[in-house]
Amino acid sequence: MGAIIKEEAGVLVEKTMKFKLKKRDELYGETGHYWGIKELTLKEQDPIKYERFFSRLQSSVFAAREKARFVAASPGGREMGESLWALTTAEGDALAISLGFISHAAAFPISIKHMVDNDFEENPGINDGDVFGADDPMTSGAPHPGDTYTLVPIVIEGEVLAWACSVNHIMEAGAPQAGSWPVFTVDTFMDGFVFPPMKTGENLRQAKWWENLWMRRTRAGAMNVLDDKMRLAGCSMIHSSLHEIIKEFGVEYYRQACKEIIEESRRMILDNMRSTMVPGQYEGSCFRISMLKGQQKIWPHADKDELIHVHGVLSVNEKGSLVWDTEGSSRWGYHGFNGYPGGADVALHLQMTTTFAHNVKATGGVKMNVESIYHKGSIYNPDTEFASCANLWAQSMQMECVAGNAVHLSFFMRGYLEEAFAVDDVWEGIQGSGVLADGTPYGFTNFEWVGGTAMGAYSFKDGMPTAWCSHTQLCNIGNSEEFEYLIPPLHHLGRKLEPGYCGHGKYRGGIGQTAIHWMKETGQRLGVTRAGVTTSLNSYVSLGMNGGYPAPGVVTVTAKNTNLDEIFAAGGDTPTTAGELLEYAKEGKITGDVKGWKYDPPEQSMGENDLWANAAGGSGGWGDPLERDIDAVVEDIRIGQIPEEFAKVMYGVVATKDENDLVTLNETETKAERENLYARRRSESMPAKQWWAEERKKIIEKNMRNEILEMYRKSVCFDGYDKHFKEFWQLDEDFEI
Amino acid sequence: MEQVNKGLMKKLVDGKISDDDVMEMRRMVKKDHKRFWTYLEVLQEGVSWDEKILMRLNDHLYIVAKGDSERVVKCDCGYEYGDYRANWKLNTDLRVRETQEQMDEVYFPAIAAPEASWMEVREYFCPGCTAQLAVEIVPSGYPMIFEALPDLDRFYREYMSQPLNDESTEWFQNRTAEETAKLKVNI
Repeated sequence: MGAIIKEEAGVLVEKTMKFKLKKRDELYGETGHYWGIKELTLKEQDPIKYERFFSRLQSSVFAAREKARFVAASPGGREMGESLWALTTAEGDALAISLGFISHAAAFPISIKHMVDNDFEENPGINDGDVFGADDPMTSGAPHPGDTYTLVPIVIEGEVLAWACSVNHIMEAGAPQAGSWPVFTVDTFMDGFVFPPMKTGENLRQAKWWENLWMRRTRAGAMNVLDDKMRLAGCSMIHSSLHEIIKEFGVEYYRQACKEIIEESRRMILDNMRSTMVPGQYEGSCFRISMLKGQQKIWPHADKDELIHVHGVLSVNEKGSLVWDTEGSSRWGYHGFNGYPGGADVALHLQMTTTFAHNVKATGGVKMNVESIYHKGSIYNPDTEFASCANLWAQSMQMECVAGNAVHLSFFMRGYLEEAFAVDDVWEGIQGSGVLADGTPYGFTNFEWVGGTAMGAYSFKDGMPTAWCSHTQLCNIGNSEEFEYLIPPLHHLGRKLEPGYCGHGKYRGGIGQTAIHWMKETGQRLGVTRAGVTTSLNSYVSLGMNGGYPAPGVVTVTAKNTNLDEIFAAGGDTPTTAGELLEYAKEGKITGDVKGWKYDPPEQSMGENDLWANAAGGSGGWGDPLERDIDAVVEDIRIGQIPEEFAKVMYGVVATKDENDLVTLNETETKAERENLYARRRSESMPAKQWWAEERKKIIEKNMRNEILEMYRKSVCFDGYDKHFKEFWQLDEDFEI
Repeated sequence: MEQVNKGLMKKLVDGKISDDDVMEMRRMVKKDHKRFWTYLEVLQEGVSWDEKILMRLNDHLYIVAKGDSERVVKCDCGYEYGDYRANWKLNTDLRVRETQEQMDEVYFPAIAAPEASWMEVREYFCPGCTAQLAVEIVPSGYPMIFEALPDLDRFYREYMSQPLNDESTEWFQNRTAEETAKLKVNI
């Protein structure tokens, strides 16, 4: 280390964050080890002390999460897994993380680097117990402005030693489109209450102006202030714990142990990768529609429909760690589905952390084992500072599952079938704003289908419904009543599984869930939109697993001017799923304007007895559906999860169900139907090489809808993908699509 | 559980394993390194042909050593797809669902089916046994997805410490473009 020089602020150069960031990167680049740590000296000398030290750090963040949520919190923060607390090094590398939104640990270093690069150590200064906040995707690593961060430095004798960090998803982001994930945006100025890292309080106390900002600039100010207090309460606990820990173990021990913990974690995660993966290249993709045509007439440059392409190749580098290259993913656009690298990593690390950071200390060591390549100008790295990132999550969750499926295919190839399943996370949220009868305005988000989705099928077993959630270990859809009291006009008319809604296969994906929200006492006004991941215009990911069908996208059904009052008065049945609602309308059992949406509906003005229904969270299947065990299909029919008519078409199983739920299999017809379906495969298919020639002609003649051609143009503008596309179709060098 | 034995592995491959056994496997502190060899043994016993399986790609497909100098993709039914370095989908039979009626057959409720004016459903079948090997849901004109190109030499040498005898730097190369170039000649 060089000579010790005092800076104007009175802190030794070697103790500044700027120095530490630079030195960390230099040493890692030179040695491949975190901070150049080659020997885990403290661990080897006294492993009990070392583990006791780590357990104290880990306990502090667990305790923060379990207590702070009950100090003050919105239902999203308290009830579900929508939050995280962490302790990081001075440079922002996670040392210990709580349960919850674990992958947001990828964002903390972005905020901290931004503060360092902008000389926050000088102005406004970083002092013990200061409170910083951020939610700007470009400067803080937030996936979208609804994810809000609180960061509290732990400073001893002028040296920043650590940060207590927290994030949670707030209930309303203050954008023109109400809710917490706006969909209909043009640029960052329509993303809502966006703020880069900034000091918002001192001595573990927020400034009053900060609370006022939440109240004035968002529609659920009170809820957002509660969440702000929740995050700070947890950070205060971590702050206090760390001071005690450092007092007990000493600053020098703390400094060295932190480095060893992260280096140890890096090594073990790498070992997990090498122990389970097959080196090679794995390709995947997905799509997301942005249907803005006719809705952005004030901003003509955004008044168009765009099909967003997400393409990725996962490879294993010479060290055995992973490289995720997203070349070919669309150029950024004038819509809300863009993001910056920090936010994209938060999505990618969902898979990478939960998959590889097991049996280890889950730390910033994940990042060192996952190189992500987001090409400049793409949807994950816009070459503008003004791109809207209002709802990156509406496609980046697909992206991380594409990577996840690549990893799981690799597990399957190596024989670790018990870990390999179709990876999906078909989340959904509904959001909006209204004015109560007494004139009180409000905004809201219903998170229920954010907290849990079905698990995909394995190569030996069906997926389970509402059994997991890729972005948190704490799969939890929340209590119905929590949302009903929070959003006064919305009541659950139905909340259950949607029969048949999954990707089918030899083993089917977990059945997705559905809700029907019944509008009652809608007050002076109520506007509702959706916020979720891809719609049923396309599947969740492009590629099914081993012949199974990929998970379907999210379905929305709206019903207006219904005859519900008449049905209630007559004691009649009401629909309980989105699919049933469409069936009821088709059969005339419910009247009114009933519409199914395969894309994001524009804001719907909802009134008394209107209905908003959705189906989400279905997962992908595995294997050839005609190889599915006949008894399993019969059982699905019996429990009402697969309709009889669909069982025949998909699985070739002919069975009838009586009013007592007894199912009778017709074995002869089943045998004949399966033979028929195999015969159809043969008669309706053609050699793929013949198809290739015919499809190539379509491309050369540009014989496809303009939006698809435009999608290709926004992908082949990246050289690597242009080469890939032209080589596959054998197009001339100068061909322009 | 420290090592998955052959009997258990067969149950896992055949889909006849108990949930308790699966849970035990997931709880292994470290995955059993020898699993790959047990896996290959079980798979090899499950096929009627003799070529040595080098890697499983799919429920039905394997990369096998053919003679001294070829590594090809082979279905458990015996159908061969050629060099594993080119996307095997080029040698399948392909059904494309393009109309809404066709797409509505594979999702339920029908509103959950992809929109035919934007997407198509591609189903890849084995020409030998008609098994459905892969499904892609993509827009028209989308290149076939090359799901996996394993680096076999590196895996066998560095990961499993048993190098293959025909190692070559040419094995880990994507040869799909060479196959499509041949197709262009035939147009």
